[in-house]
Amino acid sequence: MNILIKSATIIDPNSDYNNTTQDILIENGVITKIESNLSNPNNYEEITLENLHISEGWFDSSVCFGEPGFEDRETIENGLKTAAYSGFTAVAMNANTNPVIDSNSDIIFTKSKASNHAVNLLPIGALTVGSKTVDLAELYDMHNAGAVAFYDYQKPISNPNLLKIALQYASNFDGLVCSFPQENKISGNGVMHEHITSTRLGLKGNPALAEELQVARDLFLLEYTGGKLHIPTISTPKSVALIREAKKKKLDVSCSVAIHNLALTDATLTEFNTHFKVLPPLRTKEDAEALIEAVNDGTIDMVTSDHNPIDVEHKKVEFDHAAYGTIGLESSFGALQSLFSTEKAVEILTKGKSRFGVAPVSIKVGNKANLSLFNPSTSYTFTKNNIVSKSKNAIFEDANLKGKVYGIVANNKIVLNS
Amino acid sequence: MSELSVNHLLGIKYLNEQDIQLIFETADHFKEVINRPIKKVPSLRDITIANLFFENSTRTKLSFELAEKRLSADVINFSSAQSSVKKGETLIDTVNNILSMKVDMVVMRHPNPGAGVFLSKHIKASIVNAGDGAHEHPTQALLDSYSIREKLGDVSGKKVVIVGDILHSRVALSNIFALQLQGAEVMVCGPKTLIPKYIHELGVKVETNLTKALNWCDVANMLRVQNERMDISYFPSTREYSQQFGVTKDLLDSLDKEITIMHPGPINRGVEITSDVADSKQSIILDQVQNGVAIRMAVIYLLASKIKQ
Repeated sequence: MNILIKSATIIDPNSDYNNTTQDILIENGVITKIESNLSNPNNYEEITLENLHISEGWFDSSVCFGEPGFEDRETIENGLKTAAYSGFTAVAMNANTNPVIDSNSDIIFTKSKASNHAVNLLPIGALTVGSKTVDLAELYDMHNAGAVAFYDYQKPISNPNLLKIALQYASNFDGLVCSFPQENKISGNGVMHEHITSTRLGLKGNPALAEELQVARDLFLLEYTGGKLHIPTISTPKSVALIREAKKKKLDVSCSVAIHNLALTDATLTEFNTHFKVLPPLRTKEDAEALIEAVNDGTIDMVTSDHNPIDVEHKKVEFDHAAYGTIGLESSFGALQSLFSTEKAVEILTKGKSRFGVAPVSIKVGNKANLSLFNPSTSYTFTKNNIVSKSKNAIFEDANLKGKVYGIVANNKIVLNS
Repeated sequence: MSELSVNHLLGIKYLNEQDIQLIFETADHFKEVINRPIKKVPSLRDITIANLFFENSTRTKLSFELAEKRLSADVINFSSAQSSVKKGETLIDTVNNILSMKVDMVVMRHPNPGAGVFLSKHIKASIVNAGDGAHEHPTQALLDSYSIREKLGDVSGKKVVIVGDILHSRVALSNIFALQLQGAEVMVCGPKTLIPKYIHELGVKVETNLTKALNWCDVANMLRVQNERMDISYFPSTREYSQQFGVTKDLLDSLDKEITIMHPGPINRGVEITSDVADSKQSIILDQVQNGVAIRMAVIYLLASKIKQ
């Protein structure tokens, strides 16, 4: 692939060209020239787009694509297309498939499905067999096949001894163990955040306490075992405080937050709209503000869309019966830019890479082209027309977002959103 | 002519004060009707109503059916203790099947909070919520306020305590909204395990001492402990519950004033109130039941008149 990108403003603090507008020549997938006013020597494909900005390719640490088993919700192929159109060059895919991705061959299958694609698919293996949170899966074998982390998606590990053993065992090969922060006995049958809105709606509340108890427990375990722990999608200020303290003690812990937990609150649920039913639940305005602060100060390591396509049959039902989850790749950049500056949004979207084994590739001559292309200043209302996913369960439907994505250049391929 | 501000009765929180007054004034008229020798009016001869009860009910279902028949509506009944989802059919499909038989109004009881709100967004008929999980039971709250108005002359300025299992109670929530809308002061009283942690943010007082609560109030609305909604034990035994939160005649007599006792039924005699309290002159429990028919006639009549427009 040979292309010439014209007049692109580079957002990359690790590049000498940060905040300058340049032409970029890419030959066979490698950046060969960065200059203003480059000529097109060999009639290469030229990319000229309005107010074009580029950055290092973006990464999402938690997406679900449904394949194998839930292809009616999403397929790997269309999921990767969605990621590319949304500006992501790498996504870590959860193991919540059917069968669950819990073996070497499952990891190989997943990777083979994604080979030759512009987007890198990083498979997350299940931590336990069948994600039943009883017996450890073959973590080492999956690690060798390319699993970047081990996670029973949104299934808390109730047995503390199991997490203890998992952390100890995975530390032999520097494996990243993920633990969903929820104490199930406290969350009970809660379907939304326990607060004034849940009280008004008569819906069972899932209190912040359920998350905080589990985070505290997990950090105690980590202090005992050593190893690498990732706590996906935290949602309360006390969780942040606990993790901040753990980092001060030099524990090897990272955490993420879902974009919707930054941008939305439980007040959106007054009409029992199941698009807002997510896990962890949307919490209060004060919680969201504290989480944004923690993203800004770096306590929260990464922000994820927690992209989870759910078919309409599991959403267009009574609130108690509706499945948790929202799609989010398509709205990620626009939602982040509604909360942060362009530079910060880009930092957030590239920051989690190394934790999941993705090498950062900055915009420099000689480096592989791994780029996200976007226009940061377009404001628009996110509608069903903006959805690429097979499932349409978008928590940001009808929200006003800022910034549109053009696509990506990665793996010697170019994928542009029409 | 006055009309309701809403097309469905999904909960008290969707009504305004004028709506409540209109329902009460209409109920006054129907209460007079049901005490006539011929207890029936031909108002809704052209209306068909489906009573859909996805949860067990005896008195509410009877009360609605009687109200509908006394308005001369055609009535069909559908009862299923199992939720439609468990049978493999969605709620929308179940209701649309019934509506395709040309039904104008749906009265629905459902175990899930928000089921009525959800349905109202996807079907065309007018919906009356006859109780949705722990969310709302608006006609119960209306008949409760109506009964207070009848007994004490006015709801505004009155002090009402709701005693018992607030956590699992749609009656409590609807009553709080209705009473506050009419200017009453509301307190909830019960074991802390059965009071939602954030209920004070609704502007209600919270009390765990029954004697203090009864001394404060003009009216005590005693709720039934809803064992069927509990996933674990919220108190050790009914014996211990009634020791702390059961109203006895001795307790009533020890108060400085004569308070009014209400209960939405069914009563667990000897648990939340003793028999002599339930049957005392301070109790208006059977008045509530009679007013229930008049209130439900009023609600159905007012919603039907909006369909006809």
